[in-house]
Amino acid sequence: MVKRLLKFTFLLVVISSIFISESLAQFANHRALSQKATKLATDYPALCSVKSLVKTPGGRDVWVLAIGTGDRDSKPAIAIVGGIDGSYIFTRELAIGFAENILKESATPEIKNLLDRITFYVFPDVNPDASEQYFSTLRYERLINDRATDDDRDFQTGEDPFEDLNGDGLITLLRVSDPAGKYIESTDDKRVMVEADLSKGQKGTYLLFSEGIDNDKDGLFNEDGAGGVDFNKNFTYNYEEYGANAGLHAVSEPESKAVADFLYDHFNIYAVICFGPQDNLSQQTPRGNERPAPSGQQTQAIQQQQGRQAGERRITSVLRSDETVIRLVSEKFQEITGLRGAPPSKTSPGNFADWVYYHYGRYCFTTPGWWFPSERGKNTEVSFLKFAEDNKLENVFVPWTEIKHPDFPDKKVEVGGIKPFAMLTPPADKVQEMITKNYKFIVEVAGMHPELEFIDKKVENVGSDIYRITLKVHNKGLFATCSEAGANNQWTRIMRISLEPAKGQTILSGQKVQRMQRLEGNSSSEFSWLISGKGRVAISAGALNTGTISTSFDLK
Amino acid sequence: MKSIKKISLIILLMVLTSAASNAQKEELFFRAAGSPPDPKVQASWNKYYTNAGIYDLCSKLAKAYPNLVSLESIGKSYQGRDIWLLTISDKKAGNPDKKPGYWIDGNIHSIELQGTEMALYTAWYLCEMYNTNTFIKELLAERTFYIAPTINPDAREYFTSVGVPPRSGLAPRDNDRDGLFDEDGFDDLNGDGEISQMRRKNPEGNYIVDPKDNRRMIRVEPGQKGEYELLGQEGIDNDGDGLVNEDGPGGYDGNRDWGFNWEPNYIQSGADKYPFTFPENQAVRDFLLKHRNIAGAQSFHNSGGMILRGPSTQSGYAEAYSRADDAVIEALGKTGEKILPGYRLLTVWKDLYSVYGGEVDWMHGAMGCFVFSNELWTPYLMFYDTTNTDQYEFDRLLLFEDAFIPWQKINHPVYGEVEIGGFSKNYGRLHPGFLLESDAHRNAAFCIYNAYHLPKLEVTKVTVKNLGGGLKEVSATIENKRMVPTHSASNLRYKIDPPDYVYIEGAQSVLAGMIVENEDLNICREQKKNPARIEIENIPGYLGGGAQTGGGGFAGGRSPGAAGNSNIIKVKWIVKGGDRYTVRVESVKGGTASAQSN
Repeated sequence: MVKRLLKFTFLLVVISSIFISESLAQFANHRALSQKATKLATDYPALCSVKSLVKTPGGRDVWVLAIGTGDRDSKPAIAIVGGIDGSYIFTRELAIGFAENILKESATPEIKNLLDRITFYVFPDVNPDASEQYFSTLRYERLINDRATDDDRDFQTGEDPFEDLNGDGLITLLRVSDPAGKYIESTDDKRVMVEADLSKGQKGTYLLFSEGIDNDKDGLFNEDGAGGVDFNKNFTYNYEEYGANAGLHAVSEPESKAVADFLYDHFNIYAVICFGPQDNLSQQTPRGNERPAPSGQQTQAIQQQQGRQAGERRITSVLRSDETVIRLVSEKFQEITGLRGAPPSKTSPGNFADWVYYHYGRYCFTTPGWWFPSERGKNTEVSFLKFAEDNKLENVFVPWTEIKHPDFPDKKVEVGGIKPFAMLTPPADKVQEMITKNYKFIVEVAGMHPELEFIDKKVENVGSDIYRITLKVHNKGLFATCSEAGANNQWTRIMRISLEPAKGQTILSGQKVQRMQRLEGNSSSEFSWLISGKGRVAISAGALNTGTISTSFDLK
Repeated sequence: MKSIKKISLIILLMVLTSAASNAQKEELFFRAAGSPPDPKVQASWNKYYTNAGIYDLCSKLAKAYPNLVSLESIGKSYQGRDIWLLTISDKKAGNPDKKPGYWIDGNIHSIELQGTEMALYTAWYLCEMYNTNTFIKELLAERTFYIAPTINPDAREYFTSVGVPPRSGLAPRDNDRDGLFDEDGFDDLNGDGEISQMRRKNPEGNYIVDPKDNRRMIRVEPGQKGEYELLGQEGIDNDGDGLVNEDGPGGYDGNRDWGFNWEPNYIQSGADKYPFTFPENQAVRDFLLKHRNIAGAQSFHNSGGMILRGPSTQSGYAEAYSRADDAVIEALGKTGEKILPGYRLLTVWKDLYSVYGGEVDWMHGAMGCFVFSNELWTPYLMFYDTTNTDQYEFDRLLLFEDAFIPWQKINHPVYGEVEIGGFSKNYGRLHPGFLLESDAHRNAAFCIYNAYHLPKLEVTKVTVKNLGGGLKEVSATIENKRMVPTHSASNLRYKIDPPDYVYIEGAQSVLAGMIVENEDLNICREQKKNPARIEIENIPGYLGGGAQTGGGGFAGGRSPGAAGNSNIIKVKWIVKGGDRYTVRVESVKGGTASAQSN
């Protein structure tokens, strides 16, 4: 009898996992994503190349596609990053979808012209160990790679994983009827568990855990399962030393190191678009003193832990000139994607998007790329279930069902809750639409790139073969030539303007090579030289991240 | 057959005795106190070692003292040179990697050469004194020294051969952010292997030659007329951008590259991409991560005569310090001031400057070690005088102007006729030869003192009381005999190492195990899980230590009202069966000890 039951359960598990993989066929697992990436390079050999940057601890490739014409590493570039957070599985589709769309349209005049000017580096999935959990027979929202770590610092690794107690292939929640519990059913939606509010006279009746067993009997549930380090906690800005899943130190993981190295070594990148939990595009950035970091609030605990001193060179909020650009880009984002309101806010110390702006010194635009609308101040789970109902999304909730639990032999224990990934993934019929809209948004942003031109070129013959050359270098783009946050960063280039005299000519005034300060969008600066002698002088100006322009003057 | 053997043995003995008596007749030295009279490995300490010299000395030590010394490469530098590490411990007295360990490295800053000599001297001294000195013999039975003479061999090579490198290693960096790497460094214009000062005759200049010492340039008073201008260090504008020597080899700081309290270069100059960008530091990191027994460390720098302690930032940021740890650090450092005349115990952020991502911060904050960084050499050592620190006078009276490169005329492509001269690169921050050995000895003594005070655990008492009904109560006392606790405050905060474990063996079953918080009042704390292995969060040294600020409780070693000192831990078990019990304590940073009941 027991044997038969077991067999039956096994069959159920198999059936349910087949069902799951079918219903989510629109997303690509790591293998399929790798094939998509490599296929693009084969289909568009002149426009796209692909390479694996590194293997993760789980042995998976981190791919990067380079898209553009000609010498791609010598043109201003935008990086597009997906899979930063393994629970935002859709962000991988947004990244690879951008690559597919732009290559598909590469013959149109608009895109052809753009690809002549700008290079796109696309990272479809920077954390493939984590995202693969979505496609596994045990599905849960996973953020960490496959490195064996001691997540709860008890000197054992991976000793307390999740367990699928109701055999549905999903990890949801566990509620235990207990007078000492802190949770109750929400009055707005009985399916949702909320913390009891003593001030409203509420008393808790449930304990709430993630689905599993306390394997190591330390009173915590599933706190040290498979893996790992969270890519999105492993970067240097506000890094939390010894934080949970933060890694041994900042940028300790092969993935984060490889991605950081690639970005640092590509000085031509001037902006990074992050698809992930952090968001700086959904709202207008507030003015004045209260200017938050791109990802929203500062993580106060970290600030406190680190006791940051005042009056340092540290940049802790978006700088004014960058704010202008972010506001412009935000408006475009909202206009094109139609997304309104703010996504559920997520902050994490050491996150990637903050690193891009504060430590890498590049423009950073970060968004989940899709979210369900929710009312401010309302419980997000309740909002989500309402959204699901309104949009006739079925299968988003596992109804609470009683099970036997070895840790609570004498108590009523139920498994249930919103299915993993459901709240972070658009409905099937929205997927293509959102990929296309995000693609269009990026194309629009790319068109705002910094671009130099010489204007007001002038030669005056001062007399006796002495000539005065005057010109302005004008940034006709909307973006500054370098983000304000990156201006003092060793990892951005400083533009140079240089003048090469012909043989026999001498520079009487002005420098042969000089630094050019960063230029805001639609602004310029003037240079002049005094040259003695006839002949042709060549002048060039720029840097890798702006492109270099050149001109010449015949002095006669 | 047997008798032949015997005879040859006798002959051998006779030969040996005569050889010994011959040697006695020809004795060349009389022993000076505290130094090896006739070392197996000849070394002199009035010169600096090149990379080849370091390897030569290290391999000779490893060969001469196979029971004490292991030599290994822990990784490669950027240019592919080995980073050598000596492990020094009495291997017969136990596995070196299980004893409390003391780490020494030198030369992380390339121009700060003599950290290497301090490290090498320590290694050499420990080996050469082992057979004649009881203290050293006991020390090496109980402790392990891990000594990396240079963790920046590329730039050491550069310094000891062609020129003056920056502080960093030699991975190319674009310091002037123009897209070119290392294209405008110093230029040795007169080809003497030195980078010295440039001066040019110029009536508009602000300098004149000191009438009392024609080597020295002095600034004129405002309104006075000068005869020279100073043009900085030897070099030209190689990349034609109007700046001289602005992008030389390397150009970062290996000591801002460590994974604790790290900040990027616009906040902390010298920082690179992220913590542990550089292979040299990765090698050290990986070695320490695998050698958790390392409980104390010294990272040698120069100069200024400082015994530096953390924190390196005002609040210590993520580092944890406790009053108890501070007491240990102060006690060690104050003794250091006695050992090292002219050196002062100072705190990095307060007395020097703030440092983010420094090596000592990582060792303290992330690895839970007790760490000092000595800034070697102080001008005080010239005349044993804090008021006279005149380098020119010292060079004249004691070095006979050996440290000065006389001004020499050359033709500079931009500046025209200039003169090149000044102090040699081996002077100013580096010890002159005759003072090197004495300071090396003092710094070695400070390291040895630190190593001595790493935790030393003993199970001092095991008693058995019959409880009747086949049950017995076994009590044990564990003591840390030295100053350093098994767990620093950072170690406790971040759970860097497991707790110390106290095992009982010899019982049929262990029914209960507990920590005795107050013996007189019989206050105990039971450990419900796995009572045969009692977990002790920390065993403080005799000054306390390890407790978190305000933490109190057991970790602080202050069991309220308990008799005795905080460095004494009492445990007891209720057991069934057996009659002789062994109690064993195991600590990652404190070593192991055991005792048996009567």
